[in-house]
Formats: sequence, C-alpha cells, structure tokens
Amino acid sequence: MKYYFMSLMLFVFGLHHAQNCNFTLLGEVKDFHDGTPITAANIYIKQLDKYIISDFDGKFKIEDLCKGEITLVISHIGCETKTTTIDISGDAFKSIALEHHIEELNEVAVKGSAYRNTTKTAQETVLKTSTIEQYSHLSLGDALKEVSGVSSINTGNSIVKPMINGLHSSRLLILNNDVRLQDQEWGIEHAPNIDINSANQISVIKGSGALAYGGDAIGGVVVIKPSRIIRKDSLYGKTIIGGQTNGRGYNLTSSLHKSYKSGWFANVQGSLKQNGDFKAPDYNLTNTGLQSQSISVQSGKNNFESGFELFYSYIHSEIAILSASHIGNVNDLINAINSKEPTIIRDFSYDIDNPKQEITHHLLKGKYFKRFKNFGKLSLQYDYQNNRRLEFDIRRGELNNEAALDLTLQTHTLLADVNLDANLNHKVNFGILTRYQDNYAPNTGVRRLIPNYEKYDFGTYITSELQLNDNLLIDGGLRYDFNRVDALKFYRVSRWTERGYDEDFAHFVVPPEDGQDFGSDLLANPIFNFHNISASIGSRYDFNDKNYILVNLSLSSRPPNPAELFSDGLHHSAARIELGDLRLNPEIAHRISTTYGYENTNFNLTAELFYNAINDYMYLRPTGVLQSNRGAFPVWEYEQTNAQLFGTDITLSYDFANRFNWHNKSSFIKGYDDDSQPLIDMPSFNTVNTIKYSNNEWHNFSASIQSEWVFEQNEFPDFNFELENPSTGEIALLDISTPPPGYHLFHFQSEATFALSNKTNLNIALGINNIFDTSYRNYLNRLRYFADDLGRNLTLQLKLNY
Amino acid sequence: MNSNNKNIKTMKINYLNSNIMKTSKFILSTILCLSVLVSCSSDDDAPSQPNEEEVITDVTLSFTNDADANDVVVLLSVDEDGEDGPLNPVQTITGHFTAGATYTATISLFNSIENEDITIEVTDVEPDEHFFIYTVNGLDMNFTRSTNDVERADGNKLGFETSWVANTASTGTIRVQLFHESESVDDSNEFGTQSGGSSDVDVTFTGVSIQ
Repeated sequence: MKYYFMSLMLFVFGLHHAQNCNFTLLGEVKDFHDGTPITAANIYIKQLDKYIISDFDGKFKIEDLCKGEITLVISHIGCETKTTTIDISGDAFKSIALEHHIEELNEVAVKGSAYRNTTKTAQETVLKTSTIEQYSHLSLGDALKEVSGVSSINTGNSIVKPMINGLHSSRLLILNNDVRLQDQEWGIEHAPNIDINSANQISVIKGSGALAYGGDAIGGVVVIKPSRIIRKDSLYGKTIIGGQTNGRGYNLTSSLHKSYKSGWFANVQGSLKQNGDFKAPDYNLTNTGLQSQSISVQSGKNNFESGFELFYSYIHSEIAILSASHIGNVNDLINAINSKEPTIIRDFSYDIDNPKQEITHHLLKGKYFKRFKNFGKLSLQYDYQNNRRLEFDIRRGELNNEAALDLTLQTHTLLADVNLDANLNHKVNFGILTRYQDNYAPNTGVRRLIPNYEKYDFGTYITSELQLNDNLLIDGGLRYDFNRVDALKFYRVSRWTERGYDEDFAHFVVPPEDGQDFGSDLLANPIFNFHNISASIGSRYDFNDKNYILVNLSLSSRPPNPAELFSDGLHHSAARIELGDLRLNPEIAHRISTTYGYENTNFNLTAELFYNAINDYMYLRPTGVLQSNRGAFPVWEYEQTNAQLFGTDITLSYDFANRFNWHNKSSFIKGYDDDSQPLIDMPSFNTVNTIKYSNNEWHNFSASIQSEWVFEQNEFPDFNFELENPSTGEIALLDISTPPPGYHLFHFQSEATFALSNKTNLNIALGINNIFDTSYRNYLNRLRYFADDLGRNLTLQLKLNY
Repeated sequence: MNSNNKNIKTMKINYLNSNIMKTSKFILSTILCLSVLVSCSSDDDAPSQPNEEEVITDVTLSFTNDADANDVVVLLSVDEDGEDGPLNPVQTITGHFTAGATYTATISLFNSIENEDITIEVTDVEPDEHFFIYTVNGLDMNFTRSTNDVERADGNKLGFETSWVANTASTGTIRVQLFHESESVDDSNEFGTQSGGSSDVDVTFTGVSIQ
C-alpha cells in the first residue's frame, strides 16, 4: 500500500518538477565493523525499479535523479539487508554501513586475503599457508623462524623449540585452534606437539599482548589456526608429498574439506613423516631418525547466529637423539667436546635406538557460540588434552627397554568468553577460564624428574578496543590468574636437608603411615598458591595509508613451572644435576614495544623495537660440582635475577626490478642479568637476505637464493668449569660456554604451479639447503658439543590442490 | 510476509531464551563432568616410592696376595645417596700392598638402596657391553688382566679379575672406570682404552700405598 502511495507521490512530483531530473547521488557501501569498502553490494533503487552494483571500492553512482525521496535497498552476501531513504534536493553523497558479521566466516573464500591478525596493537606477524607448506617436512619451530626475531633452541635437528625475542619454553604460549597446548612445555628438549601441516595460518605475537590467551606469555604467543570454514557448498583438498636427501626422509600429508551452505562442515587432515640418520658435511649423525604420524578431524555447524565445533587431533612422534650425546659424567663431556667429532659414527640407518623420545598427544575440543543482537557473542569451550611422554635412556639389561622418564599429563579446560561488539567503535571482550591438570609419573626405576602433581588454574580477563577516530585505535586489557599446585614427591632425606627444606618446609612432610618405611626418602606434599596480575595497553596510529606506528606496554606474570620447583636429578645429555627450588617466586615482566610500518606497492618495511624488564627471571646457573661413584657432575640450580632484554627486528621487502624482489630480515637482541652479565642462550645477530625472481606467466614460476648469516655470539656468561683429574692432578677445562663461530649458509628454493584441470593444480617445489655443504655449529643447539649441524639437503615437494 | 517474519522473530527469541537455558545447563553439566573427572584422577594421589635400580652405591676393589691369602687390600667407595644425591662418596682403604708381591683383584658393584648386586649384571648378563679401565698414578705397579678374567665376545677381557704386581714402596692413586656401550675397546695396552662409551663408574682411590 505504502509502495503505491509513494509511487503516486513521486509520479505527482515528477509531473511538476520534470525539469529537475539531473541530480547525481554518489554513495559508498562500507562494513559497519571496520569501515572496509564492500565490493559488489546489490543496490536496488525502488523508485526506478533498477539494480546497480557497488564497485571495487564500494562506491556507486546514480545519475539523472529527480528531486524527491528515493529508497535504496542494499544487500550483500553475508550482510543484513538494509533499506535507506534519501531526500534528493541536489547532488548528494551518502555513506551506507552494512552489518557485515557474516563476512568473518566467509573470509577464506576470498583467496589472497584469507588471513587476518589476532591482535591490533601487538607485534604480530602472520604466516600464510603458502609459507607453512614450505615447511611441510619440518616442524613448527622451523617454520616460525620465518619471522624476524624468532629463533629456536634445538636438541639436534628434530627437536626444535620456538624462541621469541630470546625467550622460550614456559615463556611462550602455543594455541592450537584456540586450545592452549599443555605438553610439558617447560622442558628445553620438549618440542611442541603440533603437526605443522594442520595449520592454515600461524600468528606469532611477541610479548603478552594477547591477554585472552593467558597472562604468562612473557616471551610471546603462537596462534595456530586450522582452515577457515566457508559457508557454501564446497569440497576441496590438498595432498603434499615430499622427499629429502639428507636423512633420506619422506613426508606425506593430505587434507579434505567439505562444507555446506547450511553451515555444516567437516575437515579431516593427516600426515606421515619419517627420516633416518641425518648427515653433517663430514659424517653421519648416528641415531637422529624420526617417525611421526598425525591426524586431525573437525566438524560442526557454523552460522552467523550460532554454531558449534568439535575438534580432535592426535600426534605421535618417535625421535632418536644423537648417540654420541649420551654421556656418563663430566669427564665424558670433556672428551666429547675435545674430540671435535662425535664419538659414535655408524652407517646410515632408519633405526631409532636409545636415547630416544616417544610422545603421544591427544587434543579434544568442543566449542559452542551464540550471537545475541545488540549485545555480542558468547562462546563456551571445553578442551581435554592427554600428553604422554616417554624418554628412553641407555640403561643396563632389561631396563633398556623401559622408559626412564614416563609422564602422563592430562588437562581439562573450560572457557567462557563474551565479545561485546554491538558498539563497533568500542568493543569489549571478557571471559573466565578454569583448568584442572594432573601429572602422573609411574615408577620407572629412576627418580622422577617431575613428581605427580595436580594443578588448578582460574583466570579472568577483560580486554577492550576503542576506535577513537579513523586513524587512532587504543586497546587495553587486564587479567587475573590463580594457580594452585599440589604435588606429591619423594625427596632423598639428604637432599631435603641440604636444600634447607627441613627448616622452611617441614609442614609439607607427609609422615609415613603404619607399616610404611620410606628408608632414606621422605614424602613431601608441597602446595603452592600463586596470584598473578597481567595487563596490557596499546595503540595503533595510522598516519596515512602507507605509514603506521604501534606502541604497546604490557605486564605479565609467570609462576614457576614444575621443573623450576621440583627438578631434582641427573640430566643425562647435559651431564649435570639440575635442582629446582621450592622458594621461587613468579617472574614479572614489563615489556614496552613499538613498531613502525611502511607499506607501498613495491616497498614494505616493519621495524620493531622492544625492551623487556623481567623481575625474578628464573634461570639455571651452575653452583658447584658433585662427586659420585660415577664421577663428577656440575650442579645447576634454578635461581632468580632481574633480567633485561632489548632488541630490534627488521623485515623489509623491495621489488627492485620487474619480477625481482629483495627480502631481508634481521634481528638483534641483548640480554643481561642483575650484575650486567649476559644471559645464557641468547640468539646472536643474524640477517637473512633473499633475492627472488617470479614470473606468473611461466606457471607462477619462482626461484630464490637465500643467504643466512648468523654471527658469533660474543656475549655469553662464563659457566666453564675447571676440574682436577683426581688421579693425575691435571686440570681439565670444561668449556660449555664458548659459543661456536658464526656461519654463513646459502639456500635455494624454486617452484612452479601447473593447472591440471579447472579445479586441480600441481605445485612442484625444489629446494637445496646449505648449498655449499658448509660445516657449522649453532650456539642454540644443545647438541653442539657433540656434532656439527646438517650438511646439504636436497628437497623435492609435490603439492596437489583439488 | 511481514507477519510471517514476525513469527520467525518471536520464534528466534524463544529459541534464544531456550538456548540460554541450554547454555547454562551445558555449563553446569560440564562443571559436573569436570569434578567427576577430577575425583577420578585422584587415584594417582599416592605415588609409589622410587626404586633406584641403576644406582651403584658401593664400589669395592679387593686385592689378595697370590702367595698369602691373609694379605688383603680393600678399596671401598660408598656413595650412600647415589649419583645425584648431595652426599659425596666416602672412601675407605683397608691395608697396604707389600712390595714385591703379586695380587689378584676382583671388583664388586652393589646397590645398597635396592639391596641389589650389580656385578653379575656386568660380568654375566652384559659383559659385551661393558669394559673396565684402570689407571695408576704415583704407585709403582704393573697391571694385567687375569687369565680367569671374563672374556667379551670381541676377545677383549672385561677387567673384572685383574692381576697387580706391587714393585717398590710408593704412594699414589688407583682409578677404576666402567664404560657402558663403547664403540670399541682395547685391552692390549696396559690398562685398557675405549671410545664412545659412557661412564657408569669413575672412582679414584687416593692414598694407596706399597710398603
């Protein structure tokens, strides 16, 4: 009825003012949430019964309009349809914002811009699928080194722990599909249990800017996201097959994604990986093989208003550890260091012998979300993780087949998160988390490195984001965490007394029950409660569409981990006794960082600066030598100091000629303790330069040469020991501190993609790592005392997209 | 059409409300499940006392004069709390060597924490994976592996039973090392050499004398 009435009115107006029909309406359609232009929005002009479509910049133009009212009905896939009426009395401009929530769910459909950042003002770098695929045969830690300022601390070549701005292990949070990985990450030789092939996108966030994930990310956060869900009928997948000459390795990974317009989806992905003994330029690295199998499945329903997801992932790895690194005492270590070559060199083999690790990790997640109009989004998530870690040592007789270390860590987490985004210029996110963790260590015939314990966590956080104007965004957050550790541990009475625990912690001792006799042991039940506050505030200022600056201030707090509290025993590959301390306090980091970014069509620059002051920084420090019937062992104790770390990371990319690109990433970091002594295991200055030629007309052909130049670390703490040979009286130096010389390696990488059919293409990639077969040792490889790093490696990888 | 839409809206609101109900039920039930799981896993509460099967607490080298069974020298090192316990080993040297005499020595390894004799594991179970090396400093002694010594599969003698000639009066040290999983061993030089093994025993007795 209204329609007819209006038409009639228009008709009447039209009759009387026919001479005024030369007005133009310019308009633009934007996303209500972030103001990005919406391309190809459908605009229906009711009065003219005419359709037009917004252009690439979201702009549209209606000409020859008469004076009067016009009604526009704007619709776009994934948006709420909007009707707006405009009074035309001259040339006019109208900006129309569409509610564009659903677009988030469909992002993957837009190829090329399918990734997005997790944070707004933190130092975050996103690794895209194409980059991740290059590391299909390697590990998460290897791939993350693509990011300037990220290095790794290795045990050999298969155990790669990521390190962000000099910090690693418990100081990094790793999230796999929104689940915080709980896999005994305190251990320096415990690599994250993630199949790199299950990731579609990886975000590296330096510092603790992402408070929703945890308040103890003193080093940073790694966010691994599986494939996005597209809300349309589709079925696609990919398979990658690769082979490597060094280690005679192969890898196979395959994934399949099915989705429906109704929102239902299912993804399945699996990987296989194996290699035998690696080779340094001059010799075989005996017992460095690896076997790994993994699978992940995901299913659910994803609509704008609500959705749920079930996710399960499994990974099983068996990793051999260089035979020559198994040593009995400090004397063996001195001999190993002085011998320049590993003491055990055998012919190539796929066998995985002791010492080795065998790890199985299960992750199960259920998530439900519901959007409420004019309010926001509520998400509920429950996840369960089961991590079983077996470490086999060289032992006498039958014991050789039994794990020396056997830990089962089970974690249940319940998370509720509310995202208030009704006001798009002022978003608020808050939530609570409860977690229960149980570590179980059976009797293995050696003393438990980590005792049985139960851990209870409670956390609550609030973060907020304020878009002050088009150029300035401010965000901030506050988080509180409570942790309770309840452990049961057998201590040697001699150790308990030597630590002075008999005076300070007598109340922890559990008296033996009737008939029980603990002999030279005592049972302790240490219970600790920790309260931690963390906070962050940051801002992003866009000078124009080419220049921006980020500033972020954060406070984070990390309670001591089980190793720092309870370690009490011999660490074989290091030939040292490591002692935890029940008296440790949480460490508290204050980090300030700033980033300058410049983006141009052919030149990109990101320059990051940071300063991190960590009070009560926990670290291992040698304090003496202990004699035994097995010889001498240095004793390393966990201590605390006020540490300072600062540095800069640079990434730049320049298209210096047609089809040629130069890419550089460099990072520089320094770390000192209270007494201005350098911190141990700090990455040295390194710079990686890549020259790449690419030609899209030749089947997307590209070829690149990379130079990786790692300088010698000239600042290190002197933890060397002088040991007197009790028999001859000679003094021998145990030089465990001096870093190896710097090195300069060259790598080659080339690829091309061939279309096999409409929907199928084949990508062939060929690579050569360490082209000149250079011998080198890496300061951040814990096996550097025993052997050189990897020699030349030729890799071939076929990727089929379908 | 419009009224239809309205219906859908009201339905949605109803659905929404019921969903909040469902949600709270979900939270409640999850917490319940969680507490059940918590109580389940509390079974692990009482850990068993660690049995330290590998520790060698007592190393004994017993020398007997071939010509006089009453002339005995015993070198004993006791590390009560094992290799990673804070207590240092305590050494006891009983007797002294008689100049000019020849002694036959055997070694004994014992785990007093588990009350277990380790010697058999080395000499009988896994001789091929073990090798003893001795070092003498300051003492005027000659050393050979006894003809009765345990022979490894590779023909090398283990060093379990050894023969020592005490020459002139002197004071010094005797060091005994037990290597495990050596790549190669050689008993042909005087005290033995190896490569690639890891030390299971490394004890130096000081103040040993020949009188």
